[in-house]
Amino acid sequence: MRGIDDRSLRQDEQEIDDMPEFGDDVDNELFSQILEMDESEEDRDFSAPLVLNFFEQAEETFAKMQEALNAKNLESLSSLGHFLKGSSATLGFNKIRDGCQIIQQYGHQLNVDGTPETDPAVCLKRIAEALSTVQADTAKLEKVMKKFFSQTE
Amino acid sequence: MWCQNLETVGDASILIPGTLLQNEKFTKTILPKHFKHSNFASFVRQLNKYDFHKVRHNEESGESPYGRDAWEFRHPEFRADRKDNLDNIRRKAPAPRKAPPAEDAFPASQQVIVLSESLTATQHQIQALQEQYFELEKTNKLLVSEVVSLQKMVKAQSQAANEVITHLNNVEDRRRNSRHSAQSGPSGQTGQTFHAGSTGFLPDGADEPAPELRRAREILNGVSPDVQADRELERLSMAYNQNGSPADSAGSSSVMFAHPGPGGMPLVHDPLNDPRHMVYPVGQTTGIDPFHADHIHNIPYSRPLSNPAIQAEASAQVTPPLKEQLGSIWRGKKPHILLVEDDKTCARIGSKFLTINDCVVDIARDGLEAVEKVNRDAERFDLIFMDIIMPHLDGVSATAMIRMVAPQVPIVAMTSNIRQEDIQTYFQFGMNDVLAKPFTRDGMVRILRKHLTRMLKDPQSAAGLVGADDPMSQNLAVAGHGPGPPTAASTSAQGYAPANMAAAMAGSMAAAAAAGPQVKFEHTPIQSPSTVSSWHSPGQQMHHPHSTSPTSVDGGNAVAAAGGYMSAVGSAVGPGGMVLTPGGSQQQQQPQQQQRPPPPPPQHPHPHHAHHQQQQQHHAQQHHHPQQAAGGYGGYMPGSHQQVAGAHHMGGLHAVGGGGAAGGDDRPEKRQRLSYGPGPQGYVQ
Repeated sequence: MRGIDDRSLRQDEQEIDDMPEFGDDVDNELFSQILEMDESEEDRDFSAPLVLNFFEQAEETFAKMQEALNAKNLESLSSLGHFLKGSSATLGFNKIRDGCQIIQQYGHQLNVDGTPETDPAVCLKRIAEALSTVQADTAKLEKVMKKFFSQTE
Repeated sequence: MWCQNLETVGDASILIPGTLLQNEKFTKTILPKHFKHSNFASFVRQLNKYDFHKVRHNEESGESPYGRDAWEFRHPEFRADRKDNLDNIRRKAPAPRKAPPAEDAFPASQQVIVLSESLTATQHQIQALQEQYFELEKTNKLLVSEVVSLQKMVKAQSQAANEVITHLNNVEDRRRNSRHSAQSGPSGQTGQTFHAGSTGFLPDGADEPAPELRRAREILNGVSPDVQADRELERLSMAYNQNGSPADSAGSSSVMFAHPGPGGMPLVHDPLNDPRHMVYPVGQTTGIDPFHADHIHNIPYSRPLSNPAIQAEASAQVTPPLKEQLGSIWRGKKPHILLVEDDKTCARIGSKFLTINDCVVDIARDGLEAVEKVNRDAERFDLIFMDIIMPHLDGVSATAMIRMVAPQVPIVAMTSNIRQEDIQTYFQFGMNDVLAKPFTRDGMVRILRKHLTRMLKDPQSAAGLVGADDPMSQNLAVAGHGPGPPTAASTSAQGYAPANMAAAMAGSMAAAAAAGPQVKFEHTPIQSPSTVSSWHSPGQQMHHPHSTSPTSVDGGNAVAAAGGYMSAVGSAVGPGGMVLTPGGSQQQQQPQQQQRPPPPPPQHPHPHHAHHQQQQQHHAQQHHHPQQAAGGYGGYMPGSHQQVAGAHHMGGLHAVGGGGAAGGDDRPEKRQRLSYGPGPQGYVQ
């Protein structure tokens, strides 16, 4: 276990940080202030249900998105995207947020850069892609989160 | 729990009192067994959190007794034989977070801007000061021009009145003369004394029937062009302020500037110091927007709960937000906050942030619910956080409706749409501030401190608040009494001055404005002419019905009211009274407006409105339908109220419109946003 030398340890000591490493998918600043709301670290009675609830919410929203996608209802897709974007952003789940942003944009028939995309078929296609990506990302993050929260229980 | 595990490990004697040996074996066997740590580093980090510290051995003191590779940790309370001491080994409180960047509320895409912003925070404040100063200057000029025009009006009125009196006397004289040509009665003498000093004109039979009357009419007619010119002049004087180019050449402006106005004329504007360019070395192109709400709200001159346009929070950008974990930050009563948020996650986080700061939180799931809650008891909430995009009723419309019953409560938009046009729209519809999403705890606390300063235990820490008695801020409040940011303040001021100039306007103008189908003055002073003794009363009266029950008044009544006012003026005792009353009303207004953050509905028959009446009809017709189509806002808002809001904010709406309408829009919300109000008009400011 010589891999951990003194230097990296000292660094660890300096960064006395609550955060497990979630990588770039999560905004640690935002997420850690939610974790800080917990009264105790062992029993995350605020953040744990909140985050788990988010994933339920995400799942429901994805299902609705799929429905809307089948119904080719761009407007609904956009508002669903906006909806999930809000909560994922507040939790600091940036990757999910970005995926939702894409869905929202194309729901408004706009490209990600804001230029109009007049062909609804293209929009639906992009949304379908973004949806499957964001679903995968969410599933991945859910696993990480569930592990994190079961660890501290 | 963790400590118990430590103990177990201690028993396993791999952990010699405070010391770890053989950490490879430790990682593989002990960690998974006793701790939920997958690697050694994580375990060490946790040890650190429990205040175990690695014992370091330098060269001089020799090697660790446990060998070179041993990791030795010590904790003052940790000993193998002292299980009872385990209770004293606690997780350390999380280290204070590094001071968050000044703008932690920005979306990630703007992180770069955030950095530069914190660097230029001081400059923002300087600029804000300058802007305030210029606003003040403008107000001064407006007030002066108003006084001048009022004086002219009064002069004309008294002249006209004199002419009429003269005429009547002359008629009487003539009649008497024709009847009793040989004798002069006592009444004749009365007549002489009556118009002594007015004109040297003595009637004779050859004169035209009523020259004085005609002259009086001429004088009166001569007045209104003057007023028009003054209105123009006003705009010019504002242009003068903004561009730094003198506009004295126009009409009576020389009179205005030569006139020793109240407080004098601080003509110190330096064109080189145009605030938009001076303190912004980086300029808008790099993304720093001097009129972004975050700066706008950091203007150091303000009154905490009064004027949203110039809210103060000077040090918020300079010093990191205060984090007060110990005890309540509130002096007495806990603030009651209404959190309007359709998203469960956001609502839970937001309400947690608020409750942890000792607020009582009520959650509404959409705009309708929010309106209902406020309607139930308008005084209940001290502050409202309002999401913008929500089902059933969006935040902007909800705000407009809440403003009808609760004109004072601070309403803070929570949204990720924080572009300038968005923000202006929020302000125009009565919101006081913006909290960017995703919001942070510190961001929320900042808002609380800023808007609930009076409830704070230590109001001083609310940063940079100028005392309520500061005459400076009072004057500023006049300049920027509208809900808009300083950019819009000049437009507000524009609307403001004509409002008072209405006092000098011919009644027909005002009546026309009031009667206009699109300009319904819901809260126009309705008083019979006999009760209107001065301008004070209409000014005051209109606020009370407003705050209690918004009663709608049809155009006819409004005309009656305007007419009533005119007769009141006509019957006013004399020139002196007429000069004083409008001035008085103005003084009356100041405190009221300072205390009322939301846009007051039109207070006076408003020449500005009349002027824009056509445009406004145009607006209403053109935009009502798109509104409903786009988001159904029109449908949610009581029609008449919307009209009033529109009427009042004509100036401001210009400012909202153009910027976004032109140019490509990269946000989908834009469509909805545009539908909030404005129109094709250009960007005024």
